[in-house]
Amino acid sequence: MQQTPIRLRGLTKRFGSLTAVDNVDLDVPAGAIMGFLGPNGAGKTTTMRLLIGALRPTSGTAQVLGADLAADVTSRRRVGYLPGDLRVDPKLTGMQLFAWYGKLRGGLDTRRVVDLIERLDLDPDRPFGTLSKGNRQKVGIIQALQHDPDVLILDEPTTGLDPLAQREFLTLLREAAARGTAVLFSSHVLPEVERIADTVAIIRAGQIVTRSTIDELLDRARRRLELRFAEPIAAGVFDGVPGVVDVQIDDHTATLTVEGAVGPALHAATSHALLVRINPAGDDLEDLFVSLYGTPTPTQER
Amino acid sequence: MLSVWIHMLRRRTTAAIWWAVSLAALGALLAVAYPTVRGNSELDKTFADLPPSVAALLGLSDGNLLTSPAGYLDSQFYANILPLTLLIFAVGAAAWTIAGDEAGGTLELLTTNPISRTRIAVARYGALLTLLTVLAVVCWAAVAALAPSTGLTAGLGIVRLAAATLACALLALVFATIAYAVGAATGSKPAATAVAAGLAVAGYVAEGLSHQVTALRAVRYANPWHWLLDADPLRNGLTWQSTVLPVAVSAILVIVGLAVFRRRDLR
Repeated sequence: MQQTPIRLRGLTKRFGSLTAVDNVDLDVPAGAIMGFLGPNGAGKTTTMRLLIGALRPTSGTAQVLGADLAADVTSRRRVGYLPGDLRVDPKLTGMQLFAWYGKLRGGLDTRRVVDLIERLDLDPDRPFGTLSKGNRQKVGIIQALQHDPDVLILDEPTTGLDPLAQREFLTLLREAAARGTAVLFSSHVLPEVERIADTVAIIRAGQIVTRSTIDELLDRARRRLELRFAEPIAAGVFDGVPGVVDVQIDDHTATLTVEGAVGPALHAATSHALLVRINPAGDDLEDLFVSLYGTPTPTQER
Repeated sequence: MLSVWIHMLRRRTTAAIWWAVSLAALGALLAVAYPTVRGNSELDKTFADLPPSVAALLGLSDGNLLTSPAGYLDSQFYANILPLTLLIFAVGAAAWTIAGDEAGGTLELLTTNPISRTRIAVARYGALLTLLTVLAVVCWAAVAALAPSTGLTAGLGIVRLAAATLACALLALVFATIAYAVGAATGSKPAATAVAAGLAVAGYVAEGLSHQVTALRAVRYANPWHWLLDADPLRNGLTWQSTVLPVAVSAILVIVGLAVFRRRDLR
């Protein structure tokens, strides 16, 4: 039987008195995309650095393809990693980096690299140091995907990408998952995870607090919507509308807190007055925490 | 392994070329200027009255006259300028190999490739050796090309010049390896540079003072500067003290540094 490509058991990492990762169990099966959600400083990056072997666990295990990547050099051939804070020798061009890493991983797949460069629209001949943030991120993504790895570990991969590149990147992830790659990617924004992940793990102060499918999570999650109307609206418009748990009306604007599906609330909005604009309001992830735990996120520095 | 080695060479080449050009120019100047010193016996009288510790730092101990080829070369180059210059270059390059690259954030991504930390570190040490060797050879060639025409190699020959250059490079290697090992073990470039530079300066001063301060005599055998200056390879050729000792100490430092680097967290 094939082992689970990403498998964490009791994974714990302490830095002095701070427990950055606390007894984490996590499985990402082949072909699955797992979103790894949590506020900054919750332990996402530390967990991923433990997975790729940059850090050694205080206790517990972080197995990738059945191996400890810190010790098993050959298994790294089948792993793609994108660090959250991507830094590359500023003098190397994208193409030089892909060629170098391709060689280290057992041969450069030129066709795959050229395909990725075209799809993400990167100029591969410019030195890394001269690239914009978004283009640097593309270099990082390509080096992680260029060898079609069986496991992808991506730390905030869409940072700095324009919407077009973001969409193409998500397509690339879906293609990888369809080929059987296990994908773990971290994010601190919910919508991005919604669009791509099958399952979600939420980490908070080093501990996994939720593991569920996206649908289950969204059923429980609360959203805030800001609705702007062409004319002032009366109080009571949203009374009794399913899912609406809170309403604040201020002249032309209504701010709703909705649990689960937003359809009924929108239906009520469009049938009562001239609706001009809908804005999501507030930080989705913060709202999610409030709805799941009733308290905002504790901040933790590392 | 080769590609990590080449990568580091590429990254350090521009700096190394400037160092090589400067050292070669200095070596050439040294050779060309010798005729003006050779006939000036007043200089010998002036330097004869120096305290022994200063004379030792100038490479003029044991009746080594400034106007003689060996005295001139030692006092102007092989006992101070050359080892110090090679040392500064090599410590800088060594502090980058692991700690500097780690602080720059570029090492972590490299280590996620199918190449062990040990191999990366060894390849980088190899690149450091290569750069130091190139620098030493350039330096030797510059002096050796011009020295015979001004009588500087009388009684020495260019092979002795090679011996002196090699011994200087090995001294630089010891301190560079200290920087390398501290950087490998801690990931801190400031610590790597500070420890190596501090020990190099302390050793240089201690070796000079040990000619007068008896308390320092006992520790001089642990001092790489003593291994070089006491052996005086320009006059005596290569001895185990100026070759085997620095190589052995460097090898031990590499092994200890790597043992820690393999296991520790990256920063």
